[in-house]
Amino acid sequence: MKIKTPNAGALTNFEVLDFLKARGASKDSSRVIAPVASSEYKVYDYLVETPASRQTREQIYEFMKKCKTYKLAKAEILNIINIAPRELVEIDPIIEHSEMRLGDQVEELLDLVRNVFPLPPADLTSEAGMDKDREETGNEEQNEDMNETLAGEQIDGDRK
Amino acid sequence: MFYLSLIEHTLRLPPSLLSLPLQDAIKKELENIFLDKVIASLGLCISVYDIRKIEGGFIFPGDGASTYVVEFRMVIFRPFVGEIIAGKLKESNKDGLRLSLGFFDDIYIPAHRLPKPSSYEHDQENRYQVIWTWEYDSEDNNKFYIDGLDEIKFRVDSVEYPPVPIEQPEKPFAPMVITGTLDDDGLGPVTWW
Repeated sequence: MKIKTPNAGALTNFEVLDFLKARGASKDSSRVIAPVASSEYKVYDYLVETPASRQTREQIYEFMKKCKTYKLAKAEILNIINIAPRELVEIDPIIEHSEMRLGDQVEELLDLVRNVFPLPPADLTSEAGMDKDREETGNEEQNEDMNETLAGEQIDGDRK
Repeated sequence: MFYLSLIEHTLRLPPSLLSLPLQDAIKKELENIFLDKVIASLGLCISVYDIRKIEGGFIFPGDGASTYVVEFRMVIFRPFVGEIIAGKLKESNKDGLRLSLGFFDDIYIPAHRLPKPSSYEHDQENRYQVIWTWEYDSEDNNKFYIDGLDEIKFRVDSVEYPPVPIEQPEKPFAPMVITGTLDDDGLGPVTWW
């Protein structure tokens, strides 16, 4: 066995979840017949409880476009997409030296996160804002003809 | 947390799989070999993402199976240093905490990486567990408990791959160990913040 490229692209939690869903993983009783191994199901169970289960591809593209002004590192962008922080205390451990680099822009960044990744209606009681309802329609991509990952595109694009 | 990795492997396809179409047979065999296993310095293999190239198909003398050289991409779980992950408490003892992600259990938070000052007291129900408390203030009403109920956010300090031991140790061997810290704003049980 030879490892040709140890890192061929980082994946957000959403992409892994999407990939497993496209293979047929789901929460109901069709588990036994789906071609998904039980160890993959454990990953699916974990990811379904993270904010990734509520995200859509368009939201992630939008976020990556809009967060360019803040000059964040790739790892920080990945962390933010995976965790979707809603409060200042959540975003603080993600960004190093946040006061030095961003200062007041941290609030703007938080607002951007809140707008791009809205909470589903059930959780809106704790939020003061009126986020629009942008829920997933379910089956976005049943086939995996995407050969690039989302973050991978960014990495390749920046390398040029 | 997850990333793709391009791997090339010489695969022997058992004759029992000859009835399946080639791609499916190869994917099945790859999954048997790699899934849920840790590759040193790469991480835990989650899933076969896609197959890029299949070459070969030779049959070696004396063997009934054909051998292919397959190039494929695999989804690997390996958090990078500084990543923030939420996990559930699995057990806690006087050396620290142990967290679980469902598919991965060997996440340790050593005692000195808990927010300072912390102390522990023995759990009445379970003789071997302790309950860690973070004393934010010296007054009693500012004590924060770490109980097993909600998710705990931690930051990854290091990912180690201890070499496989020759003799079997008493604890089941963990080929990949993640060490984390709770010592920062926003880390720890989500209800603390």
